[in-house]
Parts: sequence; structure tokens; C-alpha cells
Amino acid sequence: MSLEEVKEKVNAFLIDEFELEEDQLIPNALIKDDLDIESLDFVDIAVIIEREFGVKVTSEYIEKIIVLQDLYDFIVEHSNK
Amino acid sequence: MKNALVTGGSGGIGKAVCLQLARSSFHVLIHYNSNKKSADEVLSLIESEGGKGETIRFDVSSKKAIESALGKWKNDNNDNHISVLVNNAGISKDNLMIWMEEGEWNSVINTNLNGFFHVTKSLLKDMIINKWGRIINIVSLSGLKGLPGQTNYSAAKAGIIGASKALAQEVGKKKITVNAIAPGYIKTEMIKNLDEKQLKTLIPVNRFGNTEEVAHLVDFLAGDNSSYITGEVININGGLYT
Repeated sequence: MSLEEVKEKVNAFLIDEFELEEDQLIPNALIKDDLDIESLDFVDIAVIIEREFGVKVTSEYIEKIIVLQDLYDFIVEHSNK
Repeated sequence: MKNALVTGGSGGIGKAVCLQLARSSFHVLIHYNSNKKSADEVLSLIESEGGKGETIRFDVSSKKAIESALGKWKNDNNDNHISVLVNNAGISKDNLMIWMEEGEWNSVINTNLNGFFHVTKSLLKDMIINKWGRIINIVSLSGLKGLPGQTNYSAAKAGIIGASKALAQEVGKKKITVNAIAPGYIKTEMIKNLDEKQLKTLIPVNRFGNTEEVAHLVDFLAGDNSSYITGEVININGGLYT
């Protein structure tokens, strides 16, 4: 799956689920501080990622996702495996 | 129809809770481990009143058994999830600490405290995703005050109280409440050998409590009207300890 496809789906989900504005979703946005997404919110994100991309997210990976680009990269890398 | 799992639902407080939740239109999962006959009787009572439910068996002290039974239920009920959990199952093995065997300590901690952890964890994800849930932990006066001869039971129940308060803060944003109920002397098998006549003199309302009184409190906490109450330990003990 391409980066653009992943971006489109992830952004749509984040806007819908966390009431974020599109202009907030810049690749360098800090997930926790800029987007106000807490670790518990990753449960919802993990479910969507698994459903949409067939990628399982474990807590070990969640710790490595700091900015939005990390999330895109993680999905692209694992969905193409 | 919301699904409610009541661990240790085949007798005592658990049985009364199952009946009351069914009256409030929950589909009740009556959990048991060894007493199938009693669990079936609870189900029959529920059905005779027009309610809905089913029995489910697993050993709360076994992580594997919990995950297997609840995983199977989820597979069999694809579009459904359990949104109310009443952690009621528990055992006591009383002994003064000086005489207490390691096995007595471990089995009470494992069944009561670790059982709470594994059952709750198994259901928590669905509650988070669905953004609604009720976790009601039946603890005990013993976990608040400590009772002699019950260092193991007091420790397990106090552990659940601490975990309830912590978990309430973790999941409050997801509209999941976590509360504990601490019954005093309630007429059940567990206290059948106690002398009510003597002990009631210590209780301001001058009697032991009934399982139905605890069940009504659980029912309230399981509903929408309790949505602003979380992280609480609610005593139900006739004023014995406040």
C-alpha cells in the first residue's frame, strides 16, 4: 500500500474519531502533544489499523510512534510485508 | 440489549445480581466454575421472569481458561460484546498469618486479585472501542478495614480497590466507569456460621444485609444514571464501618 493511500485513510479516521482539523495533520505533528491523542486512544487506532490494513499493532511499536509520519511509515512498512 | 457478565453468578450475592440485572433488561452471562446445577437454576429463574441469559464456565484463577471461554463467547456472538462486568467471584481461606500456608495466601490472591485482572483485561478492549462500559468490583469490608484471620483476603480485596481507582482514571474518558462495592455482613453461605444475634449489636441498622440490597446497588452502577460516579468504593454494611 502506498504512503498516499495510508495517509488518506489514517487522516480520515483521525478527523472523524478525534475531531481533528485537516491542517493539524502535518507529518511532524506530535501525536501526544500536538494532536492530544493519549496512549489509551491507541486502542481505537490499533483496531482501525488492523481492520483497514491488516496490520497488528503491539505496545512495543506504539512506544516508537512519536509523530504522525511514524504512524504512516509503520503501516506502510507492515502492510507491504 | 446489553450483555452483563457476573462472575460467581451461581449463588449468594452473584445470584441476586444476575436476577436483578436480568430484570433491568440485560442479557446476563451467569459465570460459574464448579456449580453448574446452581448456575442452571439461576438461568431458569431469570427465564421464568421473562429475562434473558446464559451460563458460562471458566476458572477465574486461570488466565488461559478465561481467555478461552470469553474468546469463544465473542466468536459465537460476532456483533456483540460484554459491556457490563461484575467481578464477584472469589474465595476465602481464613487463617491467622502465623499459621497461614503459602498455598492459602497464593490461592486467595490468585483467584480474587489475579482473576479480577484477567477477566477485566479480556473485556476492556471492547468497552474502550465501544466507548461505554461498567466495571463493578465486589470487594469487602475486609479490604477496607482489614479483618483478623484474613490477611490474604484483605490484601486481595484492598488490591482490587486500588486497581479500581487507578483503572477508573485510565478509562473515564471512554465513558467507562469502574467502582467497587464493599459489603459488610450479607446473608450468604460465606457467613452462615456467624452468630447474627450477637454480631447485629455492632451494626447500627441492627441486622445482616440481604443479597438483594447489594444487587440493587450493582444494578444502579450498571446503568446510565450512574455515569458520573467512578473510582468509588461504596460501602453497604448497615453503618458498621464508614
